[in-house]
Amino acid sequence: MAAVTEPVPQTPDQINDDILRVLEPPTPLYVLGVLFCATLVGVGLVAFLYQTYWGMGPTGLTHPVMWGVYITTFVFWVGIAHAGTLISAILFLFRAKWRNAVNRGAESMTVFAVLIAAMFPLIHIGRVYKFYFMVPYPNQRGLWPNFKSPLVWDLFAINTYMITSIMFFFVGLIPDLAAARDRVRDWRRHLYRVLALGWRGSSEQWRHWSRTVLHLSGLSTPLVLSVHSVVSWDFATSLVPGWHTTIFAPYFVAGAIFSGVAMVITVLVPVRKAFGLEAYLRKEHFDNMGKLILLTSSIVGYSYGMEYFMAWYSANPYEQMSFWFRGFGYHWTSTWIMISCNVLSPLPLWFKWCRTNIAWMWVTSIFINIGMWFERYVIIMTGLSHEYDPAAWGYYVPSVVELTILVASFALFLTMFLIFLRLAPVIALQEVKELWYADRSHAKGHH
Amino acid sequence: MAQVLGILKTPDDTVSAIESLKTAGFTELEVYSPVPHHGIEDALDRGPSIIRLFTLIGCLIGVSFGYFLQIWIAYDWPLVIGGKPFASIPAYTIIGFELNILLGGLFTVLSLMFFGMWKTRKGHDAYQPGFSGDLFGCVVSCHGDQVARAQDLLKRSGCTEVRVVES
Repeated sequence: MAAVTEPVPQTPDQINDDILRVLEPPTPLYVLGVLFCATLVGVGLVAFLYQTYWGMGPTGLTHPVMWGVYITTFVFWVGIAHAGTLISAILFLFRAKWRNAVNRGAESMTVFAVLIAAMFPLIHIGRVYKFYFMVPYPNQRGLWPNFKSPLVWDLFAINTYMITSIMFFFVGLIPDLAAARDRVRDWRRHLYRVLALGWRGSSEQWRHWSRTVLHLSGLSTPLVLSVHSVVSWDFATSLVPGWHTTIFAPYFVAGAIFSGVAMVITVLVPVRKAFGLEAYLRKEHFDNMGKLILLTSSIVGYSYGMEYFMAWYSANPYEQMSFWFRGFGYHWTSTWIMISCNVLSPLPLWFKWCRTNIAWMWVTSIFINIGMWFERYVIIMTGLSHEYDPAAWGYYVPSVVELTILVASFALFLTMFLIFLRLAPVIALQEVKELWYADRSHAKGHH
Repeated sequence: MAQVLGILKTPDDTVSAIESLKTAGFTELEVYSPVPHHGIEDALDRGPSIIRLFTLIGCLIGVSFGYFLQIWIAYDWPLVIGGKPFASIPAYTIIGFELNILLGGLFTVLSLMFFGMWKTRKGHDAYQPGFSGDLFGCVVSCHGDQVARAQDLLKRSGCTEVRVVES
């Protein structure tokens, strides 16, 4: 086993000091970063208002490709939102202790990503002020939504996921907010006092809190699997060649976890470096996340292969044509970017040296993020542009408005994450301390 | 009733303190800790949290409401499609499931707010900021004539500081 070269926290108080140091007044570089991202969000807002004023004309959406960058980006952000729940809920139930250092960052990303994802169907419908047509409520038109439609399932799934993720995130944060309340001396003390809801860490509070976390984990585990399954059924229940397949639900769920873990790495590597958190975000965490990436990359790679195999084996000319077009049609570059980034780029992670090399992991994670966005783009765009009738085939090029809103969504994600970094501990203080005490207790022979 | 506070450094010492106090007949104990600890929970022996009941109630309400909403709406605006029944139960499972999770989660968190926050909001005179850092606090509520005995037990359990708290 390799020698441990990273610093190790010596006392729980040091853990408090190290992690709460992130909340100290920001550096000019941080302020510039927030302003830069916020400016991009502002540009995206202008693009959105322009589109809302003129209608969907400024987008590249036209028959037959009526889903484009917006739905691609919606699916991408829903996927990113899966890592937090996987790490917080599923790995919690499996008692994977390494999750303790990364779960807070991943949970915050889940919340921000699902909030951004929820915006994209609204942006996509054009008349954003009519979004409430999807909501079942007694209305003067006497109409109800169609509950057999996957689009309505999506409304329920995404909103349930959003609310549950926010609750899970907040409940986990309460003890840490109390710790911050007891240490911070500036104006934020009042904020933490309100948000900590009178937390004192009494045995009675911990008893109920632990049970709540357990139950939310139990509820979130099937939820996280259901959400991307429901998103996949937006496609799979249609009759579009390349979409109408039963493999979509597990394929999408694996892809979501794949991209979500990659995004956690992309964001946490700079945070680790900038705030000197090497003692908490250790190489073993990246090693384990690398293994998760390998597993999910293998499932995704298998699914890509199986899609092509089934297209050939089905002897269905429409399926075969659709997949030939996907690989060798005029958008072939997107497909090969997808395969290169999602299947080939993670392959070096079979070697431990690569998984424990932080720079390598970071670069790989960026490739995966790019590849997973292109995966959704390829599925949507190639599926819709070449359906059954050659007379109805078409072409799609994203417009400047769409791409501006896409970039703005990344900027919004970073803005929210940067602000969060200064408001709450990015590493779960209480969980790291719990692990510290457990290690010391076991070392002494207690159980 | 007086409150005697003992401050400890480790969860294992805290468990010893609780056990010796309980053996001596003290029943009104409160413990503050920076982390949840199974040993402390077991030593206090307060049984499982009532929150599990509310999770169950929330889930049952959620799934029942989910199916009810969709079935009722199917009959409120009946559409004949291929002679099939108006309500399509398999398709309604998705939203039934989602509302099951949603209401289950909401009830869980609301019951935490009530039992964990609202009901425990008073009587924390012994609390000090170190309990969210690296200290453990064991508080014994007892009559005046038992204070000395409680102090003695806490000192012998490894408390770094023992004092009577004014309420």
